[in-house]
Amino acid sequence: MNRLDYFVLIATILAIPLYGIWQTRGSASLGQYLKGDASIRWATIGLSVLATQAGPITFLSMPGQAYESGIGFIQNYFGQPLALIVVCAVFVPIYQRLKVYTAYQYLGKRFDRKTQLLGAFLFLVQRGIAAGITIYAPAIVLSALLGWRLNLTIWLAGGLVIIYTVMGGTKIVSITQRYQMIVILVGMAIAFAVAVYRLSPDLSFQSTLSVAGKMGKLEAVTFSVDPHKRYTFWSGLIGGFFLALSYFGADQSQVQRYLAGGSLKESRLGLLFNAVVKVPMQFSILLLGAIVFMFYQFEKPPVYFNQPAYEHALENGYAPQLTALQTQFDQVFMQKRAAIRAVSTASSNERDAAMNKLRELDAQAHALRDRTKAVLVQAGVDPKSKESDYVFITFILQQMPHGIVGLLIAVILCATMSATAATLNALGSTTAIDFYRPLIRPNASDHHYVLAAQALTAAWGLVAIGVASFASLVENLLEAGNILGSVFYGSILGLFLAAFFIRRVTGSAVFFAALIAQTLVFVLFATTNIGYLWYNFIGCAAVLIGAPILQQTMFRGTEPPTEA
Amino acid sequence: MNTGDSDPDARWWRKAYGLALSVFAVEVVLLYLVTVRFS
Repeated sequence: MNRLDYFVLIATILAIPLYGIWQTRGSASLGQYLKGDASIRWATIGLSVLATQAGPITFLSMPGQAYESGIGFIQNYFGQPLALIVVCAVFVPIYQRLKVYTAYQYLGKRFDRKTQLLGAFLFLVQRGIAAGITIYAPAIVLSALLGWRLNLTIWLAGGLVIIYTVMGGTKIVSITQRYQMIVILVGMAIAFAVAVYRLSPDLSFQSTLSVAGKMGKLEAVTFSVDPHKRYTFWSGLIGGFFLALSYFGADQSQVQRYLAGGSLKESRLGLLFNAVVKVPMQFSILLLGAIVFMFYQFEKPPVYFNQPAYEHALENGYAPQLTALQTQFDQVFMQKRAAIRAVSTASSNERDAAMNKLRELDAQAHALRDRTKAVLVQAGVDPKSKESDYVFITFILQQMPHGIVGLLIAVILCATMSATAATLNALGSTTAIDFYRPLIRPNASDHHYVLAAQALTAAWGLVAIGVASFASLVENLLEAGNILGSVFYGSILGLFLAAFFIRRVTGSAVFFAALIAQTLVFVLFATTNIGYLWYNFIGCAAVLIGAPILQQTMFRGTEPPTEA
Repeated sequence: MNTGDSDPDARWWRKAYGLALSVFAVEVVLLYLVTVRFS
């Protein structure tokens, strides 16, 4: 990175919050602080919802995921459009009609206080940890590659977000997310264009895609029913539906986004915008990863993308093993490049043999990378994040022109800031409205609750920075967030679906059913190897089955619930 | 429970949901075609 990059980076990440602060100057009522005001329209809501979900992990990890395993991950999003339509039709009208600040207030109105607190508590635990991961994930990668100090990077990203989120509440979050998302979309479009431009002139774009497909990178949809396959049409549609329904319907960090503005029409249009654009956007990001993969078939990639860890091992006495592996990797790379050219010029009779040769060489390259990783583990410098998380950022730093590098680092930081701001805003609001107001100060003024929400937002910001500072990730960053969500979301969703659709069930039955469901998911998570998307379904189903059973047994004869 | 059916614009919204679902179906078909064409 040079001075131009740093100028673009700093100007981008500072200008948007400063504009937001200027736009939201002056005091706000409790309603304005927690829900924004009527000036927020569907486009802002739509971009805000998109930015809250995307986060930095999408832009760091997802191209690397496609580089490593192809674009099949796209299927995880297949349940989302259906879920968003259900949220528009069922959840939003109820939240708007009851004029709630948080989703969990609805549980309190429909059932009782303890069910409201349980829903809010599960959200706070899950999101409190997730906020830390959101800050930590880009910080560890950027600090490793750019030589920034990890704690400084965490405080830089987290501190700025805390300041503006505390100052402006929901309105500033929506305004900044709109511009941050525009920067993200423009940045990714430029990255895509540059990546295509940098592809080898030896192959046409169509031939490039054809070879990528033959190497297993473009299998977007598979209808396989093999439960061991991680991403399939069915797991994405069913498991993804429950994950998305819970996330958009019952996660306050999203509920607060689409309730901003206060109009049913604007909320619904913002969500439908997401239903339509999400799959194409994720596809473009994954395709970018596949294109980066093809770029590195002609331009020699590092044998290990986490170069700081690799260099550390070289300096620590592992140079002989690593140099030998590097030499073998270089030879395989040259043979692979020749094999790709052979595939593209082969006649149809020769193509199968040429493809088999190419796949064999690709497997050899993979094996050499695995052996390199094993040496790094032996050297004690094994990185805590997955190597694929370093693929796209390495491509940015080594292959993009100056200025664009700064813009793309700004994209990653904008994504961090927008997702973190939404989360902190929701954590502060939920703690203030669901815990502080009813349990600690029930009859204070609106102004008092605004101050309380501000203080609690700042406190959650410090918790997130604390989690980020002590976080130690063992899984792919992309997966860590989804796994964490899936463990908690099922039972939270079960609470809401029971509230909407099971009329003759009381708060106590639902409360204990949710506790049992959450315990069941914890046990399954600890003892089995089920694909994580299924936890959403299992947790939700356990509440929906358990609540009526408990109602008919333990809580038989209790008061029927009031109509919501 | 009110699911929005009493909304005077309910028919308009049903059409909007149908349109969003149709767009999604087209997206899945296109992704499947990508898979078939390039795999």
